[in-house]
Amino acid sequence: MADDATRRAVSQIPLQKTHAGPRDRALWPQRLKEEYQALIHFVEQNKAADNDWFRLESNADGTRWTGTCWFIHELLRYDFRLEFDIPVTYPNTAPEVAIPELDGKTAKMYRGGKICLTDHFAPLWARNAPRFGLAHLMALGLGPWLAVEIPDLISKGHVVHKEQQRETAAVE
Amino acid sequence: MATDWEEIRRLAADFQRVQFADTVQRLSERNCIEIIAKLVQEKKLDVVHTLDGKEYITPAQISREIRDELYVHGGRINIVDLQQIINVDWVHVENRAIDMVKSDKGVQLILGQLIDDAYLNRLAEDVNDKLQEAGLISIAELCKNHDLPGDFLAEELSKRLGKLIQGEMDQYNRGVIFTPAFVARHKARIRGLFSAITRPTPVSSMIGAFGFQEHLLYSVLEELVNTGRLGGSVVGSRQDKAVYIPDIYAKTQNTWVDSFLQQNGYLEFDALARLGIPDPTGYIRKRFKSNKLLFLRAACVGQALVDQVEASVEEAVNSDTWTDIQPILPSCLSMEDIGILINQAMRSTNVQSSARVLGETVVVSEKFISNCLSLFDDAMQQKAQKEVKNNPVFLITEDDMKQASMLTESSATSKKDKRDAERRKKATEGSGSVKSGGGGNAREIRIRKTKKKGRKDEDSDEETGPSQQNRSKQSAAPFMAQEDIVAVLGERVSDCPEEILSELAEHLVRPLAKTYQEVLRTVFMSSTSSPSRANKKQSMKDLQEEIASLYNNIRLFEKGNKFFSDETQVHIAKHILKTLCTDVTNILVNFLAADLMMSTENPGTITNEVRVKILGKLSEEIKGPLMKLHNCLNGKTVEDFLTNIETCAEVCGFMLKKGDKKRERQALFLHRQALTEQLKEAEDPALVLHLTSVLLFQASTQCMLHAPGRCVPQIIGTLTGRISTEQQQLLSAYQSLVVKQLVSQNQSRKQQQQEEAENDKAEEQEEEIRNVRTQLAVLTPQVKDLMLSQRKTSVTED
Repeated sequence: MADDATRRAVSQIPLQKTHAGPRDRALWPQRLKEEYQALIHFVEQNKAADNDWFRLESNADGTRWTGTCWFIHELLRYDFRLEFDIPVTYPNTAPEVAIPELDGKTAKMYRGGKICLTDHFAPLWARNAPRFGLAHLMALGLGPWLAVEIPDLISKGHVVHKEQQRETAAVE
Repeated sequence: MATDWEEIRRLAADFQRVQFADTVQRLSERNCIEIIAKLVQEKKLDVVHTLDGKEYITPAQISREIRDELYVHGGRINIVDLQQIINVDWVHVENRAIDMVKSDKGVQLILGQLIDDAYLNRLAEDVNDKLQEAGLISIAELCKNHDLPGDFLAEELSKRLGKLIQGEMDQYNRGVIFTPAFVARHKARIRGLFSAITRPTPVSSMIGAFGFQEHLLYSVLEELVNTGRLGGSVVGSRQDKAVYIPDIYAKTQNTWVDSFLQQNGYLEFDALARLGIPDPTGYIRKRFKSNKLLFLRAACVGQALVDQVEASVEEAVNSDTWTDIQPILPSCLSMEDIGILINQAMRSTNVQSSARVLGETVVVSEKFISNCLSLFDDAMQQKAQKEVKNNPVFLITEDDMKQASMLTESSATSKKDKRDAERRKKATEGSGSVKSGGGGNAREIRIRKTKKKGRKDEDSDEETGPSQQNRSKQSAAPFMAQEDIVAVLGERVSDCPEEILSELAEHLVRPLAKTYQEVLRTVFMSSTSSPSRANKKQSMKDLQEEIASLYNNIRLFEKGNKFFSDETQVHIAKHILKTLCTDVTNILVNFLAADLMMSTENPGTITNEVRVKILGKLSEEIKGPLMKLHNCLNGKTVEDFLTNIETCAEVCGFMLKKGDKKRERQALFLHRQALTEQLKEAEDPALVLHLTSVLLFQASTQCMLHAPGRCVPQIIGTLTGRISTEQQQLLSAYQSLVVKQLVSQNQSRKQQQQEEAENDKAEEQEEEIRNVRTQLAVLTPQVKDLMLSQRKTSVTED
């Protein structure tokens, strides 16, 4: 796990009570409600700490989530699109978050832009299922990965800020 | 179920809303500080941080807080306290305070304290309360109590005088505030006190005695004096020297001074000073501007007195008498002032040249002095004649000396000399002599004689000492002693006081001496030129004879001298030169001196020096040979002298005949005759021996001999073979006895000096002496006989 701040933030995210996947028609809405509440809480918490770093929205039945996330590095904001599906085995397996823009740019990623979370996050999730939800996924999965990978990618030049991209394009 | 989904949608919507809500912008404290520092640095923000660094504060807020604190603290607050309260850096507080003072008239910054008008008003009220209580309050005290600078307090309080403070401030001394009541009370006291004063009183002593406020006293006093309420004036500087002089006193003082001057014609500065006038001269000048006063050293004199003095001086001059100024002058004038006054008077009457001041107060006209001189003419004449008779040569020498000494002494006869002269006079008088100056001179000559010739002159022995001393200092031959002059003057000018006479005499001594010298000279001239021609001729003849006989004698003696050995010859020749030849020379010189009116009555008294002096006066042609003659007196041979005297005699117009045989024989005879006479009379063995031997010599050689006593043995030596052996033996025995006697006499004298140490020996010698004496007594007649008997034979031979 990353830092104390994250740990504290995660500890404040309410845990899920309902053990139900999308296939579970009866309980899934319950679960989904809980997910939303957790997310709202998490986002409110982030905003309160001036630490807002993503946007999410789901389809109607809450099985597919899309949104953006951003990372501020050296006073520049790098925006990435993200998407993931709720797997059928949810909540026993964690959803696989994908950032298609970065596909092929880093080794810590599977085919299709799915970020590699197996090393740390997967065991953590497994230990805590079914209490962990989407909010935890964002806080403990995507957040740390971004914090580690984006500066590395930027320094390697794989990720360029959009304005600079534009500038270079204009130059070319 | 549917409600669930409904709820889910609502939640999704909520979620979206939450996500798109504004994020709270949060900055860390560190960032905030940096941002603000940056802003302050770039002058975009004007804030001040507190000392603990926890808060920022704007300058306006500081000002407001300062104002508040000032109010809370009652209108007066120290900036240091303020800084602790506001808790920002001291510089900001001070700056804001200064700004505040600039912008707000009611606030002032004094000694690092902010003070506003409210405080000052309150303070003024306090002061007023105290003032009303005490009547007087000093700023210095307030300063101490309120810890504020005096100037500030004085200024602020003076602004409020008459408004908040019922009182007034002394115009001269701004350190004190009075209430009108107090001032009035004080004024009344001062008025009363100073009205009562009748004598000059130092103001400072009044302050001490009555406890006045010094500053107030002076201003009130001045006011009262100026308005005329007090009749008087304050003299002297403001402080401790100030003296209040009431008019009444000044008036009496002035009247006293006026009347004194009117009555006495003078004012003494001391007297004015005693009256309490600090600057008498200035006072007199101011007061008697119109009067012509003569200012002296310690007094000033009115015109009347000056006129009086001038009149008496003029009178004295015009009537050829003298006048003493002192009696007409006030007794308090010092000698110095009298001198100034008299000089002034003499200057203004133009009699400086015809009058003279004696004894500091007596004005004597010159004519009077010359009259006095004429009083002495008779006496002078008499004395001069007496003097001339006494000793002219001495006068001449005196003249010479005078010429020499005049050079050194002519400038001024100092008092010491005068005293010397007086003492000399006393010394001469002390000797019992009634003779005046001339007599003294004569005596001095005698003293000289005794010295040179070795003759005894007992009566003058006692005064040899002092006169010898005076001899060296004496200058002119004075006419009269000062006392004598005084006495004479006293007889003639009866009403003069003693000291004036003595001073007059002092003045007269010199001119008298001078005129006396002249008179003396004229008298002398007339006296020497008086002898008749016949007389002169006679004396000339006598002189010639005398010189001739002496000359011949010298020749004869010279001849006799040839019998002796060279050594003895020299002795004898010297003896002759010293006695006979000197006599001849002196006679010659004296003769020449007579021509120059310098001769003495006794040529024998002429000494070596006198001779030289006289020779110096002679004309060149006579001087040359005579000088030679004079010189050869000190020579060794008689021949030189003889040749010289011949030429000299020629020069002087004498004839020196060389004696023929007859004359020579006559001379021999006369000489022998004289010697035998002497021998007959003689008692002294030595003289007897001397004469006998000389006579024997003449008898045996037919030559005259003139020899000194110590050549007697040689004479006897030459006699051997010429006289019989008996005679020879007798002579030699006698001679040895004489020698013995002389020796023993010497010895006994010596022994007496040794206080007869060895009695035995002395006795022995005495015995011996007695023996010798008896032997001599026996032999003397024999020896005498020897010659006297031989005389008979020689006479028979002749």
